[in-house]
Amino acid sequence: MTITDRLSKNRGQLESKLRNLLAKPVFLIETDIFSLPCGCCGITINTRGLQADDLEIFEEHITQYLEAASSDLEIEPSFLFARLVPGTAEIASLNSRLLCSRCYMDFARGSGKMPRPDIYILNFDRRE
Amino acid sequence: MKLYVPHTGHMEGLQDLLACPENIYAVYMAGTPDYVGTGRTNLSAPGLEEIREQTEYAHERGVKMEIVLNSSCMGGQHLTPQGFNKINWYFDQLNRSGIDSITVAEPYFVEMLSREYDMEVVVSVLSFVDSPQKAVFYEELGADTIVIDPAVNRDFPKLEAIKDSVSCGLKLLVNEGCLYQCPFRYAHFNFFSHANGPGPKLNVLDDYYYYKCLSIRINDPQQLLKSPWIRPEDLKEYEHITDTFKIGGRTHFTNWILNNVQAYAGRHYDGNLMDLLDCPKDIRDLFYIPNKELEGAISQWKRCGKVCNKCGYCKRLTEKVVQVYSADGTRQALQPLNTEGRI
Repeated sequence: MTITDRLSKNRGQLESKLRNLLAKPVFLIETDIFSLPCGCCGITINTRGLQADDLEIFEEHITQYLEAASSDLEIEPSFLFARLVPGTAEIASLNSRLLCSRCYMDFARGSGKMPRPDIYILNFDRRE
Repeated sequence: MKLYVPHTGHMEGLQDLLACPENIYAVYMAGTPDYVGTGRTNLSAPGLEEIREQTEYAHERGVKMEIVLNSSCMGGQHLTPQGFNKINWYFDQLNRSGIDSITVAEPYFVEMLSREYDMEVVVSVLSFVDSPQKAVFYEELGADTIVIDPAVNRDFPKLEAIKDSVSCGLKLLVNEGCLYQCPFRYAHFNFFSHANGPGPKLNVLDDYYYYKCLSIRINDPQQLLKSPWIRPEDLKEYEHITDTFKIGGRTHFTNWILNNVQAYAGRHYDGNLMDLLDCPKDIRDLFYIPNKELEGAISQWKRCGKVCNKCGYCKRLTEKVVQVYSADGTRQALQPLNTEGRI
């Protein structure tokens, strides 16, 4: 299976799981694998129709699904988060990211779930 | 020294920011964009109750709270009866929430606020006060403090003339990474003001100004040094102008903000100057400017006539100190710019 086939399958599976869970046609408009110049890499899944309330109520399930999607693409699910459209309850994307050391510090400095108002952390394996 | 520090706008961020508030005189954040927007990107839209709670929290820690409503274009809404009433109501509510100061760019708001309320009225950098004449106009409108346009941060005769012309407070923005004499400055801030303000949300394809801003510096890295930022070590050169400095960057993580607070409060930074600048992350990860190697450049900038084609100092300095991050596989390495000042 090519990497694009795997991505397509992964996107469809996650979308289907979220629709079954939330009983609404949540739309995953794009799944991307990325690598940033700072050293971070991972996947971004752009969402439509997913809202902060969904995340708060079904956090456990959504985290599990995202964890599975990330592992399926061989990306260790050590840092999973949702990004909100600033100032709203709309979830713009779900993300799994392998953090570089500098970005790790940006996220690790705080202790709560929202190190920035547009970031909602679902899972964060802190380093020693 | 009074240091004004950006805050992303949510309580969790404020708690992290003020865990050790010793070096922070005041924090500032945007309000909700439903009434007056802001001229920069926002990550949150705190409502009045949140502003009240966060103001109380800041005050408990001995830190002042400033709300920034520095839309550079209201599209005339504030001059309509409906718009005026709405905005007037919001100002009144902000006043009741206990905030200490309010930053605005619209001249009408300066006069309106100064007549009606006791809150400190601060004129935003987005009012582009770059001359003694303009400073006097704003003081006469009722400004308690003016944040001087960073475009004149390295024009000391102009700064001194502004200082001599007004008796209100002056504040300097120290780390804005914008292009010097940027041709997009007004258009970009007006765009942000509409995108982050009341009224219909824009469905833009791409932020043209953002892409141009990056492209110009990638193609001509000397623009990085021409940007009128102030190094932490050089704050002492400005003490006869003001003791009040503002760090820009309310869309950054608390960790980034605290790194800036440490650098500017300590007046020292040993690292990449790009780490301190409020500019797109895209170029922060591209250029390395060793701050230490800029020691003494302020002496040239203090007497600079701003005629770049005759001077060439920034170009030579760029070729000497600026490096570029490059990746060999997954490893990062630094490379010099070539002699043309281009990558």
